[in-house]
Amino acid sequence: MTEEQKITVTIDGKEVSVDKDTTILSAANSIDIFIPTLCHSELVEPYSACRLCLVEIDNGRKKRLVTSCNYPIRKPITVKTKSERVKKHRKNILEMMLARWPNVKIIKDMAAFHGIKTPRYTSPLQDPQENACVLCGLCVRACEEDIWESALNFANRGPEREVMMGYGENIPQCEGCETCMSICPTHAIDMDKEDPNNPFDADLMRKAGMKLTREMVLLDDSQCRMRKVGTAHLTEIMDEYDLLPVQNYRFGSHTETKNIASDVFLKNYLTQGKPDGCWQGCTMACAKTADAFTLKTGPYKGDQVVVDGPEYETVGGCANMGIFDPEFVLEFNFYCDTYGLDTISTSTGMSFYMEMFEYGILNKERCGGLDLQFGNSDAALTFMHRMAAGDKDEFIQVASKGIRRVKDWLIKKGWGDKQIIEDCGMESKGLEYSEYVTKESLAQQGGYGMTLKGPQHDEAWLIFMDMVNNQIPTFQDKAEALHYFPMWRTWFGLNGLCKLPWNDVEPENNAETDEPAKVPGHVQNYVDYQNGMTGGNVDKEGLILQSERAYNWQRAMNVWMGRGTRNDDWIPYRSMGPVTKKEYESRKDRYDTQFVEQLGFTKQEVEKMSIEEKIQKLYEYRQNRYQKLMDAVYYRRGWTPNGIPTPQKMKQLGFSDKKMLSMLQKKIDQDQEKGLNSWGGIYGDDEQPPTDKDQYWLEW
Amino acid sequence: MSITVNGKTIEHIKKETISDLLKRMHYTFPLIIVKINGKLIKKKDYNETVILDKSEVKVIHLISGG
Ligand code: SF4
Ligand code: SF4
Ligand code: FES
Repeated sequence: MTEEQKITVTIDGKEVSVDKDTTILSAANSIDIFIPTLCHSELVEPYSACRLCLVEIDNGRKKRLVTSCNYPIRKPITVKTKSERVKKHRKNILEMMLARWPNVKIIKDMAAFHGIKTPRYTSPLQDPQENACVLCGLCVRACEEDIWESALNFANRGPEREVMMGYGENIPQCEGCETCMSICPTHAIDMDKEDPNNPFDADLMRKAGMKLTREMVLLDDSQCRMRKVGTAHLTEIMDEYDLLPVQNYRFGSHTETKNIASDVFLKNYLTQGKPDGCWQGCTMACAKTADAFTLKTGPYKGDQVVVDGPEYETVGGCANMGIFDPEFVLEFNFYCDTYGLDTISTSTGMSFYMEMFEYGILNKERCGGLDLQFGNSDAALTFMHRMAAGDKDEFIQVASKGIRRVKDWLIKKGWGDKQIIEDCGMESKGLEYSEYVTKESLAQQGGYGMTLKGPQHDEAWLIFMDMVNNQIPTFQDKAEALHYFPMWRTWFGLNGLCKLPWNDVEPENNAETDEPAKVPGHVQNYVDYQNGMTGGNVDKEGLILQSERAYNWQRAMNVWMGRGTRNDDWIPYRSMGPVTKKEYESRKDRYDTQFVEQLGFTKQEVEKMSIEEKIQKLYEYRQNRYQKLMDAVYYRRGWTPNGIPTPQKMKQLGFSDKKMLSMLQKKIDQDQEKGLNSWGGIYGDDEQPPTDKDQYWLEW
Repeated sequence: MSITVNGKTIEHIKKETISDLLKRMHYTFPLIIVKINGKLIKKKDYNETVILDKSEVKVIHLISGG
């Protein structure tokens, strides 16, 4: 903002320079001058219902009274907030209010502050209730402007005026979000009586909710635009950072990404920005809707339908198939939803089949006549329709079960090189990868690989911290992050809460906190939420402990089922580094630099090596790095080098179940015999594994 | 004439502001924190804050999505 656009005003003799159109009220507040208000809130547009915020302004020609909450400063003016005229009017208003609502606390307090104890007259409209409605209109505006519902309205005129829902009945638009109740200054709205959850301290929870609502209303537009476009805002960002998966994760960006960027959907397709009911009354409202979209293929061809979404992962998945057509994105989104398919698994699967098609490992004949080239949107949709129709073609049958089965099938058929098939099929633990290119972030590889549920999208957090910020450089740093963040993530799942209000909006002062990446202010929201709900007294460490218990128990269950070992945490090489020459070339500078900076080669040596040689060297280096990361993470989590939770750790977490503890001990003993209790990484002279003690857990 | 950004050395450009640097680095993510030589710079000052030679700049990207 340049100086010209600033305007200097004088309020009660103090000068303050403000941006044009700032209200007198906020200018005054900014220099600690207090003006009483009743119907004002920064969460809603000013309405000037109460007139308590009156001030006297002087523009040099004439003096007049205005309501400060909605008076925009456009010229240098002089403002008096406590002139005799102001005081007289304000007193009159308060006296009237007190006569009408003699027992409402906020009115009584304000009146007393202005020297009125009892009004000089009685009002014919007197409402003696302590929680009488004072007609400030905050609830009506909050519902309309913040929740986008308009479930409340003023009914009737004059003395009969009252706030009403519909025609006095509960109407379906009401989300039950309680925003109206939280914003009401007199507690006139009470929904707690009807609250079936019977929380211990509803106020504590409501405060957390209002904190979030406030941030969403005031900050979201300049942060993640969740209310406008939802998670799809990430499409163009991921492209910019070379992280958007293109053609089965071979590349990280594409010139056509602009065609499927979030604004394209916002401008041309999205018709509703309302929450879809995953959490009633959520102000984040990340779900979007495209109404009246005409389908071009499949059983509903020609029909106009409502499409939910698209979310980032869906758009990213389309880029992964090499398709940059917004109408395909919507059609794909619709049919995935309709067929009960996950957009991530479907698109990642198809991207792999398309790559195999490109290499001739699959061809038209082998995949039921489909021309599965990257970018062929017709083939992609036909594949889905045939899969949904239960088509008996062998490929369609196998492919409908996902990448892991297709890998085994291709290898069994002997149609291609085993290694290339294994390296390119982006799944781990049988789950398809979500839509982020993890190649250049070791921590993110670990985030996807060393998690119980597989490479699912809500584990995609460390990529920036690691790759862009260079914030967690050592194996130990990464292991610490791979302890905290997955545990925190688990906590949301355990409590059935959404993770987005944690870090898809951030408090204004987040940057100034001790650990901004963890968004401490919002962690506190969840602490308050749980305590408010249960009456417990947990703190932020306590939340992590809850998760650690569940997480370790689940890991132990996996072990019990014959899984949950180091092998199960392995990931395909495509997620660790470049598999093909084209891929290497697309990031040649980055890789060549890594040879010099990390692998200790000279520039000349790098120049002399062939690409094949470089790919092979990187292959060994990066796989070993992943092994070392596993070592560090398992150690941090209290597991053996084979990834088994140790009975010692389980006991620390409070488990005493004998059957479980002895099962784990037995497994560890078996591993000892097989030599599996030693570190997997190969360490150089100047490096060390997390510890060199054999069976280190015995000391815990 | 160089500065470091998140530990990587890059060329120092005279009169470059934080906003300019973010553009140069293609840092478009909205949730970031900028520190110069350990000092936090507020968002509203990105346009005016000029980066001096040999500065150690941190552009910490927070997390979102998923
Ligand atoms: S609970 Fe929410 S949706 Fe219902 S009336 Fe109040 S603000 Fe509107
Ligand atoms: S119910 Fe409460 S918020 Fe709504 S108008 Fe009445 S006093 Fe204001
Ligand atoms: S606060 Fe300004 S009119 Fe009510």
